[in-house]
Amino acid sequence: MINLTIDGKKIQVEEGTTILQAAENLDIKIPTLCFHPLLEPYGACRVCVVEVTLNKKTNIVTSCNTKVKEDMDIQTASERALKARKLNIEMLMAQAPAAEPVQEIAKELGIEKTRFEITDTEEKCILCGLCVRACEEVVGASAISFVERGAKREVSTPFGEESEACIGCTACAFFCPTGAITSEDLHGRKVIHEELGLGPSTAIRIPIRQAVPMVPFIDEESCIHFKTGKCKLCEKVCEKEAINHEAEDTEIEVEVGSVIIASGFKSFDAKRIPAYGYGRYRNIITALEFERMVNASSPTGGDILMANGEEPKAVGIVHCVGSRDENYNEYCSRVCCMYSLKFAHLLKEKTEANIYDFYIDMRCFGKGYEEFYHRILAEGAKFIRGRVAEITDLALTEKEEGKLIIRSEDTLLGVVRRIPVDMVILATGLEPGVDQKDIANKFNISCSQDGFFLERHPKLAPASTFSDGIFLAGACQSPKDIPDTVAQAGAAAAEALALADKGTFELEPVTAEIDEDLCAGCQICLGLCPFTAISYNEEKTICEINDALCKGCGTCVSACPSGASQQKHFRDNQIFAEIEGLFIE
Amino acid sequence: MPKLTLDDLAKIREKTKRTTEIREGGDYRAKITVHMGTCGIAAGARKIMNAFMQIMEDKEISDVLLTNSGCAGLCSKEPMATIEVSGQAPVKYIDLTEEKTKQIFEKHVLGGDIVKDYALGIGSEKTDY
Amino acid sequence: MTEKNKDKTFRIHLMVCAGTACVSNGSFEIKEALEKEIKKYDLKEEVLVVTTGCNGFCERGPLLVVQPGNIFYQQLKLKDIPHLVEEHFLKGRPVEKLMYSPPEEKTPIPILSDIDFFKKQVLIALQNRGLIDPEKIDEYIARDGYRALAKALTEMTPEEIIKEIKESGLRGRGGGGFPTGLKWEFVRNATSPNGGEKYIICNGDEGDPGAFMDRSILEADPHCVIEGMLIGAKAVGASQGFLYVRDEYPLAISRLNIALEQAREYGLLGKDIFGSGFDFDIKVTRGAGAFVCGEETALLASVEGKLGEPRPRPPYPAESGLWGKPTCINNVETWANICRIINRGGKWFSSIGTETSKGTKVFSLVGKINNTGLVEVPMGITLREIIEDIGGGIPGGKEFKAVQTGGPSGGCIPKEKIDLPIDYESLSEVGSIMGSGGMVVMDEDTCMVDVAKFFLTFTQDESCGKCTPCREGTKAMQQILTRITEGKGKEEDLSLLEDLAKSIKDSALCGLGQTAPNPVLTTIRYFRDEYEAHIQEKKCPAHVCRELNTYTIDEDICLNKGHGCDLCRKNCSADAILGEKKQAHKIIQDKCIKCGVCYDVCNFGAVKVD
Repeated sequence: MINLTIDGKKIQVEEGTTILQAAENLDIKIPTLCFHPLLEPYGACRVCVVEVTLNKKTNIVTSCNTKVKEDMDIQTASERALKARKLNIEMLMAQAPAAEPVQEIAKELGIEKTRFEITDTEEKCILCGLCVRACEEVVGASAISFVERGAKREVSTPFGEESEACIGCTACAFFCPTGAITSEDLHGRKVIHEELGLGPSTAIRIPIRQAVPMVPFIDEESCIHFKTGKCKLCEKVCEKEAINHEAEDTEIEVEVGSVIIASGFKSFDAKRIPAYGYGRYRNIITALEFERMVNASSPTGGDILMANGEEPKAVGIVHCVGSRDENYNEYCSRVCCMYSLKFAHLLKEKTEANIYDFYIDMRCFGKGYEEFYHRILAEGAKFIRGRVAEITDLALTEKEEGKLIIRSEDTLLGVVRRIPVDMVILATGLEPGVDQKDIANKFNISCSQDGFFLERHPKLAPASTFSDGIFLAGACQSPKDIPDTVAQAGAAAAEALALADKGTFELEPVTAEIDEDLCAGCQICLGLCPFTAISYNEEKTICEINDALCKGCGTCVSACPSGASQQKHFRDNQIFAEIEGLFIE
Repeated sequence: MPKLTLDDLAKIREKTKRTTEIREGGDYRAKITVHMGTCGIAAGARKIMNAFMQIMEDKEISDVLLTNSGCAGLCSKEPMATIEVSGQAPVKYIDLTEEKTKQIFEKHVLGGDIVKDYALGIGSEKTDY
Repeated sequence: MTEKNKDKTFRIHLMVCAGTACVSNGSFEIKEALEKEIKKYDLKEEVLVVTTGCNGFCERGPLLVVQPGNIFYQQLKLKDIPHLVEEHFLKGRPVEKLMYSPPEEKTPIPILSDIDFFKKQVLIALQNRGLIDPEKIDEYIARDGYRALAKALTEMTPEEIIKEIKESGLRGRGGGGFPTGLKWEFVRNATSPNGGEKYIICNGDEGDPGAFMDRSILEADPHCVIEGMLIGAKAVGASQGFLYVRDEYPLAISRLNIALEQAREYGLLGKDIFGSGFDFDIKVTRGAGAFVCGEETALLASVEGKLGEPRPRPPYPAESGLWGKPTCINNVETWANICRIINRGGKWFSSIGTETSKGTKVFSLVGKINNTGLVEVPMGITLREIIEDIGGGIPGGKEFKAVQTGGPSGGCIPKEKIDLPIDYESLSEVGSIMGSGGMVVMDEDTCMVDVAKFFLTFTQDESCGKCTPCREGTKAMQQILTRITEGKGKEEDLSLLEDLAKSIKDSALCGLGQTAPNPVLTTIRYFRDEYEAHIQEKKCPAHVCRELNTYTIDEDICLNKGHGCDLCRKNCSADAILGEKKQAHKIIQDKCIKCGVCYDVCNFGAVKVD
């Protein structure tokens, strides 16, 4: 432990502590510019200078990188130190007049203006080197450094050209105290749809504002540590030591009796309809994107804004995008009309925009939905019956300049209309999830022609499949809204529970069985069984049939080359005996 | 080239010392001036000069200053040389041949005895340098 | 040819100076001309032409010393050579008109050691200058070369070596003046992390304007530096050395590389030197045009391949230097002294010089002085002896005003202090420093404010830019000084300069910034009146700051002496002179741009400047 005095106050600190840290312990604030607790001290700005007396010798030193020594007597604001500090700030005010932190310290020190010549009134960079040190020490990319000498010194990439070493992590902008480097400079556009995946975000983040559980995750793709091996600043600052970059995915095996598949749906990819301009024109968004924007926890705070931050004055809602369409999906996605009405209502509530709904049929079934439709009609949304042919920005009249024009048939009027709007919402339909085929193969269940999972009976058994013990819930089986999903989920759960609860149950007797002596363990039957009723016994090196699962379809019986698999009550000799019986006179 | 040992170092030093010593100035035990004006050269003063050089090299003498000068005045007696041993009066030698040169060097320069037979006179004007 | 145990004798050695200055003046051509003439007269077996390093008397180059006899020829031109060879080397008649005569005198002085410039010099670091061919290692060995190394490796322990150096009192010749023996002791006692090695560095990044001591040593006698480093390495326990030479010294670098190759061939560098088990080798690292890399921590960064900027000390390089390992950094001149000290003893070295500053120092004597060149003098010699005796006084009979020592980090010493004996302490007492040895002489025609501006412009350009006080402060001071020299100085400028200077000295990160204000501070201290003349009267007493000059024509002289020769009007680019031939001319002040051309061209002194 080292004993020293700062501004007349005595203090004891550990060896290796800097003067700046020791002063902080005493709540004495020494102004700094080029210092950051997460980076190695650099000693460039010389604003943190203090006067140190040791062994009768007095010196001016920088407090950020000078380690304390026994018996040091430090004055943080002596006349000499203060004079140097003030002059350095005054000179920085001339070098970088637009740097706010410099202005703040100048105000604290009572400096009103600088006596020195100002060359660039917009200059913000104070050459503190925090960005350079961050890029080297934390990120490990070393993409930027100081170039040129003396008053011409500046931060740049090698030869001022685009650097391959830069990984676009924006750490430099993060550490920059004056805003001389900004992430907007790096990406070139305003970050407004960040959480919709349209802009950059940090590698460690909470996925969405209403995530459950409400904890951040690390995105390996953008995490600096996984790119360069350095950083790990999050681990350093986490007080609970809850971060471990080395954690790996683990596979867990669970043995279960029944499975409920509720793997959901995916939105129709609007890019597949080029005529609608999604991804080509700004302000054409999908239903889910609009849903996100309008949520109170969205980046816009729930405001409905265009890409340039302004409120739209006219909005078009296009129904049946990807649904009821020979070219894409023939089925109706069931939920779009109702949510479109909801959007129209929200638009009316939050903006002054004119709303145009382009529909084919309004499907407002069930309780209160038709009434809601009428309400929206009363609110003044305009409904145009017709299929939208294209959305374009090619203006034909002055009124259409700078707008998105929706060209659609109006079947009730019998004309083709061009409606100029500011924003278009595409009511994209529901499709089977990305992993639908994968799941079907794994669990050996079938899909219907439209890709959704095949239920055992469309009317009487919508929650179960042809495989015993595998049940379905939600949109993976067919497009449906939330009340229907909840109902179906309850049904699936009940059936699964019933299965678990049964104890004993009746089986069909007409199942197949395998003769142990004849079975060679070739496993041809195993792959063929549509009910995954056959398993391979490694010890006995034979196949075995699970009576509970076997449905007696006979596929294994016909496939077995040695005749080991036989259908009970339908053995060859039984069948021949029956035939013979028919011929008895 | 082999790596030097301490002995090697000393040998190189000895070998090359002759070259560098001549540049260092310092005390000479004797000064030999071979007169090489046009007359002298015509009479063969170059050969005499070379003879002195050869003797000095063979005997490894390095503290004798060997230089030349212009015509001494007595053109009929060329080739001529003046020997000035340190602390003694200079002596002019005339009608030199290579043989006489050798003798003069050994007897006068090294031995300190003037070879009266070959000498013209003693104590003529001292050379400045 | 059989190997003789003595080299072939030549009766005449022509020592042609081939330091960079003389080379740029054509000394290689002179050498070729000499060889051609010598061949012509069939003197090839008798006359040897040797190129040496810098002779020192740079004012008089190209020059040549004839040995034996120490005859000094100077200001040689190619057309002089045939005559010289025929007259002196063939016929034995030295050529007087090519010899040195002091200015204002007619009698030539043939012998080098009689010439005042050389008389008072004591050569230790430069002891081989003019006497050996730097590209022949054998000649170095003949003059006791590598003997000190042999002694250090086979007869002395590292502790004994350090003791000898400490006893000598040798202090760092790069400007710091830190006791060399003490520094070696620190490095010896330091431990390298992870049991690693230690390093030796020779700082050859001589950057002071007008300084060429290190260059001359490296060009004339590279081996003495190598030998010094070898001895140092043995003393501190290092196994690898770096010679950091500024890239602007190509001749020095090429001679060093040749010397290193020759030393390696002889096994004097490499493994198991002299069979003593000691390994050491040296790598030459070239600078890249940055004065700041002469500062030792910036030098370390440069060798490491990083941006050449200094880092805070402590830790000092002796403890944690190159790549974090203990490193001994010394200047070229310091290393050059080492083998001499080991050969002749520390006691001998400390018998020269003053109480606190032992030995000799090499100075580059430049500026308004008759005998410009390189001199090595014992510590304690007075400024007067250097300027008047060695330097030969101020040319043109002008009055001596001040001498600037220590380069951009140093200060100006006024004429009142001309009897100051030179050593580290006395120089710092008067506000200057020894520095690396630059000595710039100034006369009555030098403006001291302009001098301060010159040095500040240099420091501003060379500042690495890392710390605010140096980067912005030197710029601010330079802007103020420029304003003052342009007649735009304000009353508060002097006190602002002083405040700035003090705070920059306090808070700058490295030696460059900490000493950059020195020229300003010393000129204000001793020549305050000149500053005040510039600021208050808007006049430059030395007439150097042209914008403050007023040019007028004395009509009497113009008419009666010059008869209206019209030369000034013809040369005036601003059409500011009125007059016709045979009439008195007049300058129109409003149009005059103060270029001073009329003053320069008038042969009759009719143009007056005020």
